[in-house]
Amino acid sequence: MTIQHRTRRSGQLVAVLSLGALALAACGSSTSSSTSSEAAASSAAPAASAPAASAAAPAASVAAAGACDPSKVVLIGQVRNETNPYEAAWLDGGDAYAKQVGLTQQRLTYGGESTKQQEQIRQVLATGDAACTVLNVLPNGDSDTLPIVKAAQDAGAWVVTQWNKPGDVNVPDYDHWISHLTYNGKESGKQIAEAMFAQMGGKGNIVALQGILDTAAAKDRFAGLQEALAANPGITLLDDQTADFSRDKALAVTKTLLTKHGDQINGIWTANDDMALGALQALDAAGKTGVAVAGIDAVPEAVQAVSDGKMTATVSSDGPWQGAIGLAIGYCAATGQLDVASLSPENRAFFAKQFLITKDNAADFLAPKADPADFDCANVFNRVVGPIQ
Amino acid sequence: MTVQSMESGTRTKGRPAHARGDLIQDFGPAAALVALVAIFAMVSPQFRTVSNLQNVLDSAAVLAVVTVGITFVLLMGSIDLSATGVMAACALSVSLLVANTRNSLDLGIAGVVLAILMGGAFGLLSGLVFVVLKVPSFMTTLGVAAIGIGVATVLFSGIQPSIIDESLLGWASNRVLGFTQMTILAAICVIAGWAIQRYTRLGRYASAIGGGEEVLALSGVRVGPYKVAVFALAGCFYGLAAAMVTSQLGSGIVQAGGDYTFAAITAAVVGGTLLSGGRGGVLHSTVGVLIITVLANGLILIGVSPYVQRGVQGLIVVIAVGAAAWPLRRRMTVVK
Repeated sequence: MTIQHRTRRSGQLVAVLSLGALALAACGSSTSSSTSSEAAASSAAPAASAPAASAAAPAASVAAAGACDPSKVVLIGQVRNETNPYEAAWLDGGDAYAKQVGLTQQRLTYGGESTKQQEQIRQVLATGDAACTVLNVLPNGDSDTLPIVKAAQDAGAWVVTQWNKPGDVNVPDYDHWISHLTYNGKESGKQIAEAMFAQMGGKGNIVALQGILDTAAAKDRFAGLQEALAANPGITLLDDQTADFSRDKALAVTKTLLTKHGDQINGIWTANDDMALGALQALDAAGKTGVAVAGIDAVPEAVQAVSDGKMTATVSSDGPWQGAIGLAIGYCAATGQLDVASLSPENRAFFAKQFLITKDNAADFLAPKADPADFDCANVFNRVVGPIQ
Repeated sequence: MTVQSMESGTRTKGRPAHARGDLIQDFGPAAALVALVAIFAMVSPQFRTVSNLQNVLDSAAVLAVVTVGITFVLLMGSIDLSATGVMAACALSVSLLVANTRNSLDLGIAGVVLAILMGGAFGLLSGLVFVVLKVPSFMTTLGVAAIGIGVATVLFSGIQPSIIDESLLGWASNRVLGFTQMTILAAICVIAGWAIQRYTRLGRYASAIGGGEEVLALSGVRVGPYKVAVFALAGCFYGLAAAMVTSQLGSGIVQAGGDYTFAAITAAVVGGTLLSGGRGGVLHSTVGVLIITVLANGLILIGVSPYVQRGVQGLIVVIAVGAAAWPLRRRMTVVK
């Protein structure tokens, strides 16, 4: 009896202490639920990858320009998951491109798990005709990019990566890593801020909802807001909080901010559309109108809200185009229509064009349609706006 | 040698230290909540407004419902990690069953009931795998969570359904006596949960299973069916919570379950419901929910920088739990 009793007690203490870990896990769990480009552009500390880069270069003299039969090319699009409109639209864009060239795209999702992503890449490279395989990949984090690129390089497959790349890795060091493209977060953060300030008449008070604070997307976008604030002395930033790119959290945080600042708030700047939609919901619940709200990503609901005049602005990276362009660049290289070695460094790693969506042009983005001409081999670098800084 | 006498054995007057420990365990979290509220109210004039009280309770509503569900599983000494996945599936389901922008269904409240039943079905699945196949609840519920996400992804199929059903949307905005319908619904859930725990065989056996399953089994109770029923009950609460999130957000999203699994477990344990089972309950857990929610709200209102808020939250939780465990420490000979 006593023994049993004691066992039970120690069980309790174990339980009590395991709470510490649990609580931290809960408080600190940066949600993997954020749904779009900012999750895509998760920042990992730049890995120590420079030496590896130089080591890999000689391996690839096999086929600097591809000579695949166009009907034998294997197109593969890989993103985290299909649980959000952005990545689903990305893969749909890939499907549309594949159809355009008479092929089908293999859709891969890895649920945000780096190991699973690597495993999938290894598998497709091992089972198919690697030299005619084209990969359009969204790496899970910066540190995942290099292993993917090396695997493709060693197998002779063609790869285009998007969003995540360690800053110190040079794409031209690899002749089968055709391009890396990403977007200028500072510029998008600034653009939506300026659209919002214009609607507010250049004066008033705003609050900001930041993303997951240690991600590059959150930092860049907030830096863009700060730049816009510096140029607009009539606007005051009352408060900045984080809502982790999550709609649910943005709702709660906005409600609290409305309690804190009441009617002083004229605008809410958010680092993504999910948070903007959460903020809109909080404004609705509080019965407040006339507050400018802006976000980034152009998720369909947000574009609709912009079109309806409920939201001021959002920025689109054009998911369907992203899903297609990586395949198009790879297809052109694999079939020999694009000579990778002769591409300018700017086309190997670039910021792609993004689009500010306001009430004026929202209708054009409600049903995004890709222009097949964008994916002709002569046009695949049409949206290059400059080197990655 | 029944469970009852084991419980009362810890409360005899001959062991004042233990009795004091129990007292702190039962009322410590409530005292901590009162202290938190008092401190925030002193520092921030906005905190002590009626509208902020409404705001805190509105924000706590969903977490409270999830936590009531998970509490029954924790009382048994099991763990349930399925809330996130079950909520995802139920959120998409409810948003496709009521009037929405994706299809022409308009089942209204019946849609919500179906979503709750769906949650219950997921719970039933967890319970059956756990009891019949004897797979640890940790693994079982993790698997069921993945199934839930999978179902949600299929239902989502690339296009977000937005809700146009006014009555469901009204949960988050219509106010009764100053509180949203959702908050009142959450309060009803807490009371119902407490009643189930206190007055039904299911609730009492859940605690008894956590306190000493062998004893219960030796006294002739078939515990299996009760365990399955507890998981199913928890699933129903997740289903309802999913409908509430959907009402708040205005659309069905796969991420509806977000961090609720761990937030709910944290809230339950902070409130005094132990992971080892048998101790605590719905009211304890609800106090935990309020502590977590007040903390998040108050830290913003008193102007703590967002860069340190999370650290401060974690620190306060660890201190609170440490304080609660202090009187118990002598009873524990080994801590792993």
